[in-house]
Amino acid sequence: MSIAESSIVPDSGALGVSAEGVARRFGTVHAVEHIDFHAPVGKVTALIGPNGAGKTTLLLMLASLLRPDSGTIRINGLDPLRDSAAARLQIGWMPDTLGVWESLTAREILVQMARFYRLPKAGIVHRVAGLLELVRLDGLADQPARVLSRGQQQRLSLARALIHDPSVLLLDEPASGLDPGSRVELRTLLRRLAGEGKAVVVSSHVLSELDEIADGAVFVSQGRTVKQQTLEEAALQGRRYAITALDNAALTAKLSELGLEYRVEAGRRPSVTLLLTHDDGAAALLGELVRSGVGVVSFAPAAGALEETYMNLDTERP
Amino acid sequence: MSDVTETMPGPAGPQGATGGWNAVVGYLGGIRDVVVLEMKQRLRSRGWYIMVGIWFFVVAMVTWLTWLAWNASMEARRSTIPPSALAPQDGAGSMIFEVVLAFVLLFALLVAPALSANAINGDRAGGTLAILQITLLTPGQILRGKFCAGWLAALAFLATSAPFLVFGMFQGGLTPGHVVVSLLMLAVELAVVCGIGVGISALAGRPLFSIVVTYLVVAALVVGSLISFALGAQLAQGTVLANTPVGRPLSYVPVQPDQQGQPTEAVQPGYTCEGPLVEHSAVRTDRVAWMLALNPYVVVADAIPYPDRSGSAFYSVGMIEGISQGARSALAGPDHTFTCANGVQQPQYLKQSTPLWPLGLGLQVLLTGLLMWLGWRSLRTPASRLANGTRIA
Repeated sequence: MSIAESSIVPDSGALGVSAEGVARRFGTVHAVEHIDFHAPVGKVTALIGPNGAGKTTLLLMLASLLRPDSGTIRINGLDPLRDSAAARLQIGWMPDTLGVWESLTAREILVQMARFYRLPKAGIVHRVAGLLELVRLDGLADQPARVLSRGQQQRLSLARALIHDPSVLLLDEPASGLDPGSRVELRTLLRRLAGEGKAVVVSSHVLSELDEIADGAVFVSQGRTVKQQTLEEAALQGRRYAITALDNAALTAKLSELGLEYRVEAGRRPSVTLLLTHDDGAAALLGELVRSGVGVVSFAPAAGALEETYMNLDTERP
Repeated sequence: MSDVTETMPGPAGPQGATGGWNAVVGYLGGIRDVVVLEMKQRLRSRGWYIMVGIWFFVVAMVTWLTWLAWNASMEARRSTIPPSALAPQDGAGSMIFEVVLAFVLLFALLVAPALSANAINGDRAGGTLAILQITLLTPGQILRGKFCAGWLAALAFLATSAPFLVFGMFQGGLTPGHVVVSLLMLAVELAVVCGIGVGISALAGRPLFSIVVTYLVVAALVVGSLISFALGAQLAQGTVLANTPVGRPLSYVPVQPDQQGQPTEAVQPGYTCEGPLVEHSAVRTDRVAWMLALNPYVVVADAIPYPDRSGSAFYSVGMIEGISQGARSALAGPDHTFTCANGVQQPQYLKQSTPLWPLGLGLQVLLTGLLMWLGWRSLRTPASRLANGTRIA
């Protein structure tokens, strides 16, 4: 609950998506053992974890499709177990499997979804056209979904999740299969949706992506919440910088002289990495290196802030 | 990236407070939307049209061959029997009708599982079931929508075979009532099989498995019902009180075809029942007749009306009438069929007192309802249990 308390006003603590002590098993497999999760409104929350950590299972429970064995879930204060219809009007869910009706056109799929949500008939055509434009499928709107590429189907799936203008978005690997251009668009779109006051939950493996769009992250591993942090917190913990120079020996000599701990990385180009706690230190170090005549070729963060946390979790795990 | 206008009104909440009528309309609307979705997919698959085409061709062939066979046998009979001795109901129509009806029912039982038994788990495998479940649709709406769509698709097959039943009617010996009742009963049997298929498809993990199981259930209804009736009858040994038939000389009455629709006085069996009532061992078929009733052929045949022939001595029994009479005498049991049971003469031809088909149809609907209910349970969300080896999405 630290994110909620630190970033939004206490009044709206009940809003957004929250899960407390949620557990779920399938037979003898504990897919989710104990997860605490909160995604506040107006923010993009990343759900990060290795394969099989329970991300999809958690999202299914949040989406009111799976019943948790224990623990509570609230969607804008609603209990999806008791009040599923009301909760579902708030939830937009994009599964990791595409699941499109292949013989229907993109437009028909969205119209059907609008009907399943009982949207007023008069507005459906307009709404569908707007969404098709939003995900840039207006040119392919009347093609059967089976001719769409994976990335296009992915965008259709996103439009489908948005059809009833939900206030909570649960997106399972939304960026997988998207080309770089579409990724940038997805990023812009998610930021905008969050800006409109929706709670956006994104699960992903592509951590460098999440650095750009997420306000906070929940790390899960082996069915447990390992860490919750905001991007600011992630940035504060320091990050590893990679430096390459024309003369690697001169670089290492200078770093030793400054009394810094560094690591020589095995890569295609010889580079050196070291942990710096804040950006000011990085700037100072770069200035120092340049002044002392070390031919610095590149000086950049070796990994995103979330990736840094993720890799550290990985090493901490027994 | 373009802007989508966010001016459209929010989704209408689930109705209910505004009155029961709105709730019913909303519920039916959801079913209709599922049916529309399903039918769009079915009507766009080429395989479906090919199946209907093959069906039409096969039923046409069966009708044509039956008609040829009938004409050939009539030629043969005309050369030996004088036309005046032919029973009036012996039109070509009744034979064509019966053969076509039997074939259509056979094909219906073969096609309906294929149209329905992957309705739910096929979607589950394709990842589209959860897309429906996440919306405001209830499990009942999804299940009923899938059922209606499967049934409608099966009815299309029935519709293509209707012309041949009508052709049989025009060949003589039948009324439009026969055609209407048989089409109605075929439609009901299709609904039963589709319901079984949809129910099983919601329960089983894999489409192949559920289709095979549905075929086995249909086979159990068609063949298994006969076998279990036969075996059950062996176990249902009982007794019946009867006395002794004593033969009496029949006064000679020349056999004549009775005038149509004018039964003469009831034909008496050629014996009287005399002496004390004694227990005889008999097969109590009435106890196991319900197994026979489960058979779709029995249900359809027994529901089709035919004239009461108890008054006539001379008639030809068609296949449908024969099935119906056999089933009803099994239901009547030895109390009504054993010679001199309870000291009463038992006519050879059983009056159509108690039809068997309502019992059979009732049991079939009960089975379908049970499977659909179990299927409905497995569709409820948030789901507590998942079928083995399945993911919800």
